Amino acid sequence: MKILIVDDFSTMRRIIKNLLRDLGFTNTVEADDGTTALPILQAGTVDFLVTDWNMPGMTGIELLRAVRADEKLKSIPVLMVTAEAKRDQIIAAAQAGVNGYVVKPFTAVALKEKIEKIFERIDAAK
Amino acid sequence: MSKQSGSELGDFENLVRDGAVDLLNHLETGDFSGAIKIIQELSDARHSSFYKEVGTLTRSLHDAIRDFQIDSMDLVVGDKASDSGTKITDASDRLNYVIELTSSAANKTMDMVDSSMPVASELQAQAKELRKDWGRLIQRDLTPQEFRELYKRIDVFLQYADNSATALHSNLNTILLEQGYQDLTGQVIARVNDLIRDVEERLVHLVAVAGRVDSISGIQYEEKEAEHDDTRGHGPAINKQNNPEVLNSQDEVDDLLSSLGF
Repeated sequence: MKILIVDDFSTMRRIIKNLLRDLGFTNTVEADDGTTALPILQAGTVDFLVTDWNMPGMTGIELLRAVRADEKLKSIPVLMVTAEAKRDQIIAAAQAGVNGYVVKPFTAVALKEKIEKIFERIDAAK
Repeated sequence: MSKQSGSELGDFENLVRDGAVDLLNHLETGDFSGAIKIIQELSDARHSSFYKEVGTLTRSLHDAIRDFQIDSMDLVVGDKASDSGTKITDASDRLNYVIELTSSAANKTMDMVDSSMPVASELQAQAKELRKDWGRLIQRDLTPQEFRELYKRIDVFLQYADNSATALHSNLNTILLEQGYQDLTGQVIARVNDLIRDVEERLVHLVAVAGRVDSISGIQYEEKEAEHDDTRGHGPAINKQNNPEVLNSQDEVDDLLSSLGF
């Protein structure tokens, strides 16, 4: 299980990376916005995407839409971890096909819960 | 200065009002050349008021820029690592300093956490292992050979616990000291805040002066409501409680998503 963490702040990437490691996910890669994330995704080895919303260049919601529009990438689960908490934005993310939405500041428990829920759904759909 | 300009503008308005009455009187009595003369006088007065207001606006703008430069020169932030006493001369540099400091504090804190976690895990693992054999000792279930080994292992463990506690203590102290960034960044942000308030005050003054120019010249502007695109993001919400459009917690986000069928 290889997870791509996309956030423009290296400290936030590190926090998420450490929390994922605690949950047993040690294979992670990082990108600092959607523009740098897409080529990594297109390389085809990423199984799970964790992305921020507000980033320079390509934002998280644009990345999500690009992933869902790409025939090869569209089934990758996407978890949004962001400070964006407007009702319309969450609805937009849901419509774009997000699998989970965690608002910052978040807890380790919240992150764990959302990731587990995403995997449960994927397993149930199989 | 602004009061004086205000009264000049008032004079101009009185002049227009009086001129209009005179103009009507002249027209009613059929004195067209007198009427034209008054129109000419009003036009001249408008021109001179206009130039006076533009002059005031220019001076105010000049003063605002000069004051802004003076105000932004007076903060000295010591950079402990490199050149001490660097003058941070504008708000953007100050805010960059905040980003650097918070980032460095966060990273150093995480370094300490990274180096503490394995120590705590190892301590826990060794203690668990020892407790198992200690339990057997209480049950009088140990061979003399095993007892001699436990005896030695306890000594090694106590030494390790001592060293680990010292290391954890030192890491926790480093984390504590790193929180000093809050004080430093707080001070810088407070200064930038003052600066913004100051600039805003001056801008409001400039807008007032410019408004007088507009009222004489008859220029009107369309008010446009700035619309913010959700796609670009808004950053963390401040004053969430007062904004019904912003959700306050993960629970509210979860509720919204489940209402959408998630």
